[in-house]
Amino acid sequence: MKEMENKAENEGTDARIYEVGYILMSTIPEENISAIYSNLKELVNSLGGEIVSDEMPRMIPLAYTMVKVVQNIRHKFDTGYFGWIKFSMDPEKVLDLKKKIELDTNIVRSLILKTVKENTVAAKRFVRGDITRRKTFSAKKEGENETEQPINKEEIDKEIDALVTV
Amino acid sequence: MKQDYFSSNNIKYIDYKDIEILKKFLNPNGKIMSHKRTGVTSKNQRALTMAVKRARFMGLLPFVAK
Repeated sequence: MKEMENKAENEGTDARIYEVGYILMSTIPEENISAIYSNLKELVNSLGGEIVSDEMPRMIPLAYTMVKVVQNIRHKFDTGYFGWIKFSMDPEKVLDLKKKIELDTNIVRSLILKTVKENTVAAKRFVRGDITRRKTFSAKKEGENETEQPINKEEIDKEIDALVTV
Repeated sequence: MKQDYFSSNNIKYIDYKDIEILKKFLNPNGKIMSHKRTGVTSKNQRALTMAVKRARFMGLLPFVAK
């Protein structure tokens, strides 16, 4: 059922939300990264994609050694620049994008997947979760205070009086 | 009974980039914990598995940890 609904939506809008994650070669000097990054964004735009959100590639240690063969030479990588771009694009054009990305010699590995428009990044979500938790706690406390305030005030006054007299 | 981590933290989409979350569901060898141990709903467990596998492909998580 859900697939049917999605198909219907696609026919109406002709676009889906996708995300491309990629790892750039660690041999690229840091100065060139921003140029490659903007080239990738241009590539997405040139295929009729609309960028929703993205992140600058940054150096990360890889969990295992990756190999990429360039001109019959095997290059091994233990680190790489990991970045991602979230965009909306026509489903048919994504295949062209995939082909172009796979031909890019700077990219060790890439991954294209369907996703949702909402932000899914961890750090922000954690903050949000904390805030909501705090809100619920504070809301409960306020509610309790409102009901118990008259009783508490009298008790507190008595206690203070007792302390002052002592 | 352990509660579902994702619905209790209001996480609707399990992202492969959230390796801090995904690491909670791996055992010391880097294997995905069983549905029984995680207490995650079947739907979220499937999404979790997908996310872990994507993260492994991108070198964010190991296939095998020593």
